[in-house]
Amino acid sequence: MIIKKQYFTWFVILIIIASSGWTIAQDLTVANLNQTDLITVLKSDAPKGEKAITCKQLAICGTEQSVPVLAPLLADEELASWARIALEAIPGPAPDAALRDALGKLEGRLLIGVINSVGVRRDVYAVDTLVLKLDDENAGVASAAAVALGHIGGEQAAKALTQSLADAPSGVRSAVAEGCILCAEWFLANEKTAKAIKLYDTVRLADVPDQRHLEAIRGAILARKSAGVPLLIEQLESEDQERLGIGLRSARELPGRDVTKALASELGRLSPDRRPLLLLALADRNDSAVIPTIHEAAQSSSKDLRITAIEILIRLGDVTCVPILLETVTEDDTELEQAAMETLVRLPGKDVDKDLVARLPQAKGKLQQVLIELAGQRQISEALPAVVPSLYDTDSGIRSVAVETIGIIGQDQQTADLVKLLQKTNNSEQRAGIRKALLAVCGRCGVKCIPHLRPLTQSRDNELHMIGLRALAIIGGPDALEAVKSAIESDEPPVQDEAVRILSNWPNNWPQDSEAGQTLLRLATSAEKMSHQVLGLRGYFQYIRGTEKLSNEQKVTRVVDLLPNIKRPEEKRLAIAVLAEAPSSSALELLTTFAEDSAVVEEAYSAMVQIAGQDVRGVSMDQRRQVLKMVAEKSRNNGIKRRAQKTLSGIR
Amino acid sequence: MSKERIGLNRRRFLKTAVQAGVCLAVPQVIPGTALGKNGSVAPSERITLGAIGIGNRGRYVLGCFLQEHDLKCVAVCDVRGDNRKRAKDMVDVRNGNKDCKTYIDMRELLARDDIDAVLIATGPNWHATAATMAAKAGKDVYCEKPCTKNIAQSLQLADIFRRTARVFQAGTQRRSLPNFAYAIELARTGKLGPLHTLHAHPGGLGTKMSGWFPAEPEPPREQVDWDMYLGPTAWRPYTRKLMNAFHFEKGGGMVGGGCLEWGSHCVDLCQLANDADDTAPVEYEPVNGQLHARYANGVKLVMRNEGWLPLGSCPVRFEGETGWVETGDDAEFGASSQSLLLRRGTKIPGYPADFHVRNFLDCVKTRALTRANADAACWAHIACHAANIALFLDRKVKYDPKKNEFIGDEQANRLRSEALREPWRI
Repeated sequence: MIIKKQYFTWFVILIIIASSGWTIAQDLTVANLNQTDLITVLKSDAPKGEKAITCKQLAICGTEQSVPVLAPLLADEELASWARIALEAIPGPAPDAALRDALGKLEGRLLIGVINSVGVRRDVYAVDTLVLKLDDENAGVASAAAVALGHIGGEQAAKALTQSLADAPSGVRSAVAEGCILCAEWFLANEKTAKAIKLYDTVRLADVPDQRHLEAIRGAILARKSAGVPLLIEQLESEDQERLGIGLRSARELPGRDVTKALASELGRLSPDRRPLLLLALADRNDSAVIPTIHEAAQSSSKDLRITAIEILIRLGDVTCVPILLETVTEDDTELEQAAMETLVRLPGKDVDKDLVARLPQAKGKLQQVLIELAGQRQISEALPAVVPSLYDTDSGIRSVAVETIGIIGQDQQTADLVKLLQKTNNSEQRAGIRKALLAVCGRCGVKCIPHLRPLTQSRDNELHMIGLRALAIIGGPDALEAVKSAIESDEPPVQDEAVRILSNWPNNWPQDSEAGQTLLRLATSAEKMSHQVLGLRGYFQYIRGTEKLSNEQKVTRVVDLLPNIKRPEEKRLAIAVLAEAPSSSALELLTTFAEDSAVVEEAYSAMVQIAGQDVRGVSMDQRRQVLKMVAEKSRNNGIKRRAQKTLSGIR
Repeated sequence: MSKERIGLNRRRFLKTAVQAGVCLAVPQVIPGTALGKNGSVAPSERITLGAIGIGNRGRYVLGCFLQEHDLKCVAVCDVRGDNRKRAKDMVDVRNGNKDCKTYIDMRELLARDDIDAVLIATGPNWHATAATMAAKAGKDVYCEKPCTKNIAQSLQLADIFRRTARVFQAGTQRRSLPNFAYAIELARTGKLGPLHTLHAHPGGLGTKMSGWFPAEPEPPREQVDWDMYLGPTAWRPYTRKLMNAFHFEKGGGMVGGGCLEWGSHCVDLCQLANDADDTAPVEYEPVNGQLHARYANGVKLVMRNEGWLPLGSCPVRFEGETGWVETGDDAEFGASSQSLLLRRGTKIPGYPADFHVRNFLDCVKTRALTRANADAACWAHIACHAANIALFLDRKVKYDPKKNEFIGDEQANRLRSEALREPWRI
């Protein structure tokens, strides 16, 4: 029985070893982790790699029982770091005791590692030993002890670190200062503010690297709370850039409305180049008390400050800043105008929309133009009644921006307005703008726009007629299709060409628009112009691919019927695309024919692989294999060749 | 950089004023002419850079830095000799001299007083340790992602950058790209209605760790410094198999990899869309090959590898009660309504880091918060690590973002941190 149990244990060990694997990316699972088995691995002569992974697993499931087998590994240069992974994670006093014990036995890097772990575990019982280590000849050990004491915190640690700050070797002093700052944070967390301040002030005055001074200054400011404002302002006014930096950081962090107000009042006293920096810091305080200051800055005489303030308003502003921004946007300064406009467009809130709409009826000139543009950019549908009259404004600039806005927020009724405007102008630039807006409205509002388009589709002005056809194409549906089909019979060649182009790309609402198919087929087979035949053919293939009414066999038959018209490689590729999506015996057969044309052979092969990879009714496994084998042998395209080989191996 | 280092001209402010938590829908391109005559900057006003970890990704990002007119790289550091040489050549060509110093040990580079900022692109194993060492040495830091190996490191990173007041930018450059910024703005400004579900592509959901291979002969230190390569991760013998720093110990700990790959981008973007740069979801659960998480505000976060529109890598999708938007690295959009895309801005496909680097340099000068500052990075990484822990444990876990602990779950809590190899510490 005992033997059997041993065998079982080793079996489990082997499973663990096997599961830990020898791969770069090892899969580890938490299921079935058993501490007893893992301890057995550590006690065994298993290779170090296996013991290493075992330590990681003990980090999850280990208890105090694992500590006696982990502790000896702390002296093993190769496994010490693995053992500490477990010892840092296992709860309870046993790992602490083991690490403390190691403090007295190890030296050099291994000792540093243990000191670091003691710091992570914040073992207060290790303070006495760590204090002694502050005087270690090895600067790495002394530094590690200083930082660990900082992490543990407490009166004793703080006292030892403060004493060490004055006389520690220069290579250790930075770490001692770091420890002091960590201790000060401990004091703050334990509501011993006076002690924290004293410690920060000690570091501020100590002979330590300047980075530690900066950290102490920040701490000293934050610990003092509102009383830290003078020290903060001292940094903001300092000639030293690093102190300015720490001041700006503290200005973001020091809480309190009174602090916000104090810093805001300091804004005007700072040198002009620093005001935007402080304003940015104030904005990051997320305190609404700063809003009046930002408004003031947005109207100040300094352009730098104004732009900074205007940008800040994107996230902090509300409806109250609209007047300031509108005033700015109508100034003759491009930079200010752009900044204010950007903010007005992005300023959140329905109340902002409402405010802007209310101003529109009375607005004139540039302000009117700006408000109309904002109605579009902010997509304020409520502004529509106020914008529509501007379509007929005497000022072409206002008309133009109104057209653009209607394109964004207009409804089907505005189609009629846009059509009227189109009819009234011959200016190509204006027509382009109106056309863009018209197409946008038609795309959004659909069939309801069709009746309004009649003046265009019945127009003798070819350009207007073509715009009407484009609008119909965007709308789609039977009525629109009928109008486009009629235009194909037009006496005007440009209109006829446009109608054919539109029909060849008729993508809307298939299969509802299946009537397009017959017209396209007629164009493909009997249009007078070669260009119409080509467009008809392309459109027809597109139609075949899209329609759901046709079976695969029917689709292939359609392609076969058109073979006399399929001459150029471009059309052959379209036909092949149809066949690839109609898996059948006849499609494979036809693709074999296409494969005889060197211009499209690889496309045909690719389609054949696609079909042969599927279980297709009427295509035997042997046929599929033959096709794939042929493609694998003959294709010169490595990608297709690989696909054929892979597919072939999959159906063996 | 001289005493004039802090401060920007007007145009720069225009581009930096909205950095903290608000996104621009336009790329942050600052014309050289706006920065002085012919875009030139006095040498004394240039930010001096040291680059640490300069393999393929490092050299790409370094290239973005070297394009900037107000930056001078003076030193490069890598544990691999070939990487050091290639990076030095890049820098020397840009500087027109042979003065770029090379280092194997980053501590020597960090000890230089004349270096203002460092680029850290070592590989995920080193990121948090190196970044915090740099901050303590008084350097501002641009650090590639994933920035941390576990939850504890994420919190330490944020703590130390607060304490040192150094500028930190996580290499999550999608925060600075207009298509992602625009989608986020739609979500944050209520254009989609109240948000209910966010989707992030994690780029994998398997939890892995790097292994221990049989020893191979160790190359000379000049060629590969294996000890420095391992750095803070547990010791193992040299093997070429582990020399891909990009993947080595990615995410680290027991539950490395997983959703850290793209999650540090995509989950990060969802965090920002949900105005959650200062928290993380409170529940995480593996569900049919996906990871479902839930924020305290009720918003659901779905990490999934499948079912995305063909919009390129690293896609995200934000769904609200009245609309949705989806975008990816192709910089195209899918949306519930075209009207949502009215102000989509410039299309910049291919996830370049230029704009993000520029944002970092501007913040080095203004001491303002970067777009991917340490706090934001901390919480995005915590969300990913917590998701990985749920995946690893293969069960639901609940997280308390105030106490930063899993609720009533000792196994999950043990996975929050991992000891560093001696002598390294954070």
